[in-house]
Amino acid sequence: MTVRRFHAEVATAIGTGALGAAAVIGALELGHGWSESGPESGYFPFYVGVILILASLWNLGAAIVARQTAQGDDGAELFLDRERLLRLGRFIGTMLAFVILTVVMGIYVGAASYVAWNAWRSGGYRAWVALAIGCGFSVALYLVFEVAFLVPLLKGPIEPLLGIY
Amino acid sequence: MMKKAIGASVASLMLLSVPAWAEWSPERPVEFVVASGAGGGTDNFARTIQSVLTRGKLVDQPIVVLNKGGGSGAEAFLYGKQNKADPNKVIFATNNVYLLPHVAKLAYTAKDLQPVAALAMDEFIVWVKADAPYKTVTDLIDAAKADPGKIPFGGSQSKDTDETLVALIEDTTGADFKYVPFNGGGEVGVQLAGGHIAANVNNPNENAGQWQAGAVRPLCVFAPQRMAKSAAIHDGMGWHDIPTCKEQGLNIESYQMPRTVWLPADTPPEAVAFYQQALKSVFESPEWQEYLTKTSQSGTLLTGDALQAFIDGSEAKTVAVFKAQGWSTE
Amino acid sequence: MENFDLLMHGFGIAITPFHLMLMVVGVLLGLVVGVLPGLGAPNGVSLLIPLTFTLDPTSAIILLSSMYWGALFGGSTTSILFNIPGEPSSVATTFDGYPMARSGQSTRALTLAFMSAGIGALIGVVVITLLAGWASRFALRFGAPEYFAVYFLAFAAFIGMGSASPVKTVVSLATGLLLASVGMDNVTGEVRLTFGFSDLLGGISFLVVVIGLFGIGELLATVQEGLRFRGVSSRIDLRDMLRTIAELPRYWATTLRSGLIGIWMGITPGGPTAASFMSYGIARQASRKGAAFGSGRPEGIIAPETADHSAGTCAMLPMLALGVPSSATAAVMMGGLMIWGLTPGPMLFATKPDFVWGLIASMYVSNIVGVILVLLTVPLFAALLRVPFSIIGPMIVAICFVGAYTVSSATFDLWLVLVFGLVGYVLSRLEYPLAPLVLAMVLGHKAENAFYQSMVLSDGSLGIFFANPLVSSIMVIALALLIVPKLLHIGARLRGRRPASQEIR
Repeated sequence: MTVRRFHAEVATAIGTGALGAAAVIGALELGHGWSESGPESGYFPFYVGVILILASLWNLGAAIVARQTAQGDDGAELFLDRERLLRLGRFIGTMLAFVILTVVMGIYVGAASYVAWNAWRSGGYRAWVALAIGCGFSVALYLVFEVAFLVPLLKGPIEPLLGIY
Repeated sequence: MMKKAIGASVASLMLLSVPAWAEWSPERPVEFVVASGAGGGTDNFARTIQSVLTRGKLVDQPIVVLNKGGGSGAEAFLYGKQNKADPNKVIFATNNVYLLPHVAKLAYTAKDLQPVAALAMDEFIVWVKADAPYKTVTDLIDAAKADPGKIPFGGSQSKDTDETLVALIEDTTGADFKYVPFNGGGEVGVQLAGGHIAANVNNPNENAGQWQAGAVRPLCVFAPQRMAKSAAIHDGMGWHDIPTCKEQGLNIESYQMPRTVWLPADTPPEAVAFYQQALKSVFESPEWQEYLTKTSQSGTLLTGDALQAFIDGSEAKTVAVFKAQGWSTE
Repeated sequence: MENFDLLMHGFGIAITPFHLMLMVVGVLLGLVVGVLPGLGAPNGVSLLIPLTFTLDPTSAIILLSSMYWGALFGGSTTSILFNIPGEPSSVATTFDGYPMARSGQSTRALTLAFMSAGIGALIGVVVITLLAGWASRFALRFGAPEYFAVYFLAFAAFIGMGSASPVKTVVSLATGLLLASVGMDNVTGEVRLTFGFSDLLGGISFLVVVIGLFGIGELLATVQEGLRFRGVSSRIDLRDMLRTIAELPRYWATTLRSGLIGIWMGITPGGPTAASFMSYGIARQASRKGAAFGSGRPEGIIAPETADHSAGTCAMLPMLALGVPSSATAAVMMGGLMIWGLTPGPMLFATKPDFVWGLIASMYVSNIVGVILVLLTVPLFAALLRVPFSIIGPMIVAICFVGAYTVSSATFDLWLVLVFGLVGYVLSRLEYPLAPLVLAMVLGHKAENAFYQSMVLSDGSLGIFFANPLVSSIMVIALALLIVPKLLHIGARLRGRRPASQEIR
């Protein structure tokens, strides 16, 4: 499993092009013309969207041309080799798990588990040390945000049981 | 001296605060959800109340202020809808709660929230540049009739209170202004002082500084009677010396923006009663009177049926304007 | 000389043990909120406002403004050490500050940033002291077309000299403009590009995007190279700090120019964020080593920091004298002013001289206090970098998400951070410049509003942008900044020389 630069360029160009298309569609609902009192509210999104689509097409074309002109090794320039892909995948995977856990259980549980998991798995700390680091971090968050600055953070089903709202 | 006065008032509030009337009181921190960004008029309204409640120990639990000003305040109202029946989320707004859903497609209606109280009315005044030729509001209207669509009238935002009022003036008199929307009252005030627009309908405290400096001049206020007496602000004139628009022959008797407090729909009646009582104590506190004077607003306490009647009346009148202007999304 | 007497009177008010203590407390609190992304200065200041009701207004504003200065300093710290801008206005500091820290010179980068920030602030206060009356009259001359011209100037100055692929710059710019236009548009009263999602109603927050693109994006780049910070600074040396301070005079031209840009953008409605971008752009253009910008040039830190702080300071002037806040923090302070019963406006200077001149004098003192305090924290922050990545990395991730959540208490923003993190990583790997996207998000919508207002005023005629000498000259300078570098570039190519930017890349 590797990702080539060509594929990354193409995917990005398609992504930005899709964003442009979405803007054009959204702007059409609003009216994109020039009324008597100046531009309608869809005017800017519409033309910016069109420009974005054109620029994305250009980038797409440039990526294809670059691949055809540079034969062999250059055209196959790597974006991510196997090792890096795995490392990134693992990092993003745990980050995704962290976000899901946070949305369901609140930031404190999410952050404590996430920090503890990483300290345990990639830091090589013993499980209980890792857990202590994670919980300590969450307590620090609580003290700084909720106690000192009165900014409420996202809470899940557990905090009310502890009497923390 | 100032500190002493506040100390005394805190002491007097503490006497009031024995919650004998309370069948319900909050058991967890109360969230004050503000339908404007930090520093806005609604934000100052909420924070003043927060400070009176906390210092008078009228609410035992801590009060946290959350600013949710996105989408002209819609963010705060959606939050209220999501927290249906939660008595710990108090929402602070103006009339935008019930007016916004008429002009924008939003995922809530005014029915998703219930009104608790209105504590103040912000007035609207027609202002012109100090050296403008208009002596009364009629002069300004006549000028717009003579030169239709050319006189720039500034206001805060589109399809909001300011533009509605300008549209109302146009409907009543047949004049035709060129409405230019800006991002907030302060900005409109400076645009007028700089002479980039001919008039605006700012709230008193949004233009007070420029009036004091003699850069702008009030023509009339949209209220049934003149505003309360105050110290002179410029050239011997105070707020009370501004004629009402009716006096000057503009037939709009009253146009005011209420400062309102809401709870999510289906909140238990005891909780509503608790907040009504607490807000009543706030209204009677000297700090509140001080806030009203400093921000040049009129103190009006509305709760229960009187509040509902005010809301219904104001909504019906405004929606008629929305329909006439073609802004209504219904 | 009259102003000078008033200033001396102000010093008499500002320099009391109680006020000095307030300054220290304010700056320290500001540092804390500035360092944590999301918990920015507006948050901190609005939190303190209820506490100030018992203080007299002069003490209250000294406390609040000191907190603001502290937050501005703190915001630069995380930009440099972790590539996470704590405040919008410190985004431009990441461009060279982070690479310099990464190459093992974090002490130098932080010292440069703090010193030039302090100098910038002092330049700003001197201008306020000397020109208060004139500057506020000048600001009144800015109507909608002039606003548009100023935003356009900031764009032109920054975009004109980019060294990245022009088409990719366009993509980045367009993406930023579109992101900025999502949500309810106050000026036209329309809800745009939300596709029926209530979460998008309030728009896409600039801070959320920046935390994702820069904070998470950079962590991904770090992870890709192995689980450790690149080029961790070995030791913090006091001599390092002194040596850096000694090299500052060498960059006097950059400092002076950036200070002037900051003053201009602070008094006109551009604001500190625009000032820092514009100053960075012009510094890159002016430097002979322009193309090396982005790899840790000292001017690349000095320029945005000086401009940011001189603009931040000058922005107090429109707030006090006109009642127009040019930043979120200023808006909160203005709210405070009204609660204290002071009416911002031209008469404030005449009716409350103790308040105004006490504040101005306190700006001199508290910025010096700020520089000293923040320099003392340098070793502390640099020590953070020695914590193993497997601990500090996830903590930074968690703080990024917490910060994004606090912006508007919405879980939707957590997903946005994740998405923008991935986007930021991919875009920067593919050499899409991210700065135009950020600048477009900050200024795009404001520029569009000003354009719309101008068109309403002129009944749709573009001539309004050249209708008077003020707006025409700003437009001409902007167009020149946009076009001249391109012409020079083409000229150099025609003469058969390869342009400098390609030698480095």
